[in-house]
Amino acid sequence: MIDVADVKKSYRSGERTVEALRGVTCTIPKGRFAFIVGPSGSGKSTLLYLMGALDRPTSGQITVSGTDLTAMTEAEQNVYRRDHIGFIFQAFNLISNLSAVENVLIPYLPRGITPELQARAVELLTQVGLGGRVDHRPYQLSGGEQQRVAIARALIKNPEVVLADEPTGELDSKSGDEIYRILRRLQAERQTTLVVVTHDRRFITPSDLVLEIQDGLLKVHESEREHNLSEAQV
Amino acid sequence: MGHFAWRNLLTRPLRTILALIGLSIPILGVIGLFSLSGGLRNLVGDTLSRVQGVMVMRDNVPSPVLSKLPANTFDKLKEIPGIRIIAPEVWDIAPEVNGTRTFAKIASATAGVMREGINSKALTGLFDMPLVQGQDIPRHQNLRSGVYPTSIKEKGEGRFLDPSDVGTNHIVISRKLSKAYKRPDGKPSGLGDTFVIGGKPFEIIGIYDTGSMLLDVVIVMDITVARELLGISKDMVSTFYVEMDDPTKNDAISLEIEKQIPNVDARSMNEFMANFGMIMEQLDTFLLMTVSLALLVGIVGIVNTMLMSTTERFVEFGVLRTNGWSRSNVLMLITFESAFLGLLSGAIGCVLAYVGVTVGNQFLSGGMRLSLPANLFLLGIGLSLVTGTLGGLYPAWRASRLVPMDAIRLGSR
Repeated sequence: MIDVADVKKSYRSGERTVEALRGVTCTIPKGRFAFIVGPSGSGKSTLLYLMGALDRPTSGQITVSGTDLTAMTEAEQNVYRRDHIGFIFQAFNLISNLSAVENVLIPYLPRGITPELQARAVELLTQVGLGGRVDHRPYQLSGGEQQRVAIARALIKNPEVVLADEPTGELDSKSGDEIYRILRRLQAERQTTLVVVTHDRRFITPSDLVLEIQDGLLKVHESEREHNLSEAQV
Repeated sequence: MGHFAWRNLLTRPLRTILALIGLSIPILGVIGLFSLSGGLRNLVGDTLSRVQGVMVMRDNVPSPVLSKLPANTFDKLKEIPGIRIIAPEVWDIAPEVNGTRTFAKIASATAGVMREGINSKALTGLFDMPLVQGQDIPRHQNLRSGVYPTSIKEKGEGRFLDPSDVGTNHIVISRKLSKAYKRPDGKPSGLGDTFVIGGKPFEIIGIYDTGSMLLDVVIVMDITVARELLGISKDMVSTFYVEMDDPTKNDAISLEIEKQIPNVDARSMNEFMANFGMIMEQLDTFLLMTVSLALLVGIVGIVNTMLMSTTERFVEFGVLRTNGWSRSNVLMLITFESAFLGLLSGAIGCVLAYVGVTVGNQFLSGGMRLSLPANLFLLGIGLSLVTGTLGGLYPAWRASRLVPMDAIRLGSR
């Protein structure tokens, strides 16, 4: 479970201070598929990165499965990200001179790759439909395939939480559909908590949790029922 | 991680090659200059090792050519115990030989050194000046370590001077001089041919070949004839070559000579070698300073290359950090990359130096051999490794300080 309690985040941009989050409080239950939606600049990516211990809030508290991320040292944050969190980015962010399987194994490169890890990476790539392309470099893969490698990379550590920032933002609708099909299947199989930042509401299903942010504040904390209601009203 | 770092270098081959060239050339310079310095040491060491006696000359002169001593110093030397034999010599730069003025040769060689720097050809030119050595033949005959007689027996032609040559215009020259001053038909001068020195004819009776550019410039003749040729009076000599009963006491007896006879310097070959070593140490210091500048340029090149590389890879570092890489992991990755660059540059510099020295030695003569001992290779590799690693530290530190999300945002712009 992810608990966000009155989180504020501001940063300097030139001469002015930008308040990206102005006191967000929300809870994402364990094993849920959650969306954070809102207009550009509303603070949704900032909230996502704070949940991933990539940054620290200016104030407030974030706990994941009882672990307070805001109280962690930098070294503890590194270990937390390495062992408990998977990230998927809009631009895939694969490393160009590593093969697909090596990209999946990135979290383990500093500690060394064991045959078991190698086998697990190949298995994950097979699960996302890239079993025959494990040795391909990113430039040899389509955008959709690259994002599938990124999904495998996020899942290699069996994370409690996967955070995805606009995972279909650079894909055509067919590839986007395929990515969500894979994400939903793997999330269901593994009961991972999956939090996705998106502009595109068409991938939201009635069972998803939706957090809408506007101007740094949680506008609506929609439950499944509320979401359905709003859909019906449209 | 080392494998990953290596792959990162291969990803940008042109930049890697340029960085390698930038650092391998200073490394080649380091090895080349120290190789030349080592070659000079070897040449002088090899030459001096053939001379077992002590050279008694005037104090504070660098060469026998500039030394003048009263001939009666002989009597004072005779009184010092432990001396086996005292052989008087006169030395000077040869006057005009076969119509060629020696000073014109010196000027030309000096201009060559100034024009081309300290290279083997220019140095050979500078050491090509013929010298005249007049020997007291009967006394020299009794020496244990006669460099020229030994050389004639081993690789020369004809014979060395003996008592029958006293007062005659007989000379012994080196094979190098025989080639430098050819016959009118263009062939090297040989036995029985005549050298015209200072306007006087001299018959060649022996040709030696020591193989040392420092020794193979001497025209040896009888001391009386040499005095007449060089204008040195009977009561003066240039040096005394002295051999001891026990050669292991050379240094001790040299000290005794200097104590007993004022204004005299008795130099054993060890002392010559030590003096030369001091000069070479100063040369090495100068070389080290020059090379340090070159290495500094190499470091700047590596810093520049690694800064460009890391700036282009902000997203990559952000991705690594989001996947649990610590700052020290990122620091280590980039330091590995720059260390590999340094190591490769060192290896290339060593290979180039090996090829250069091997080829260079084919063209060198006069006992000058560029030396390339294993420790020079180690120095080259070590310097390049340190240079590469140091050059990568700042870019590595800078990349490791990036906040993961800032790195991804900055890199995506």
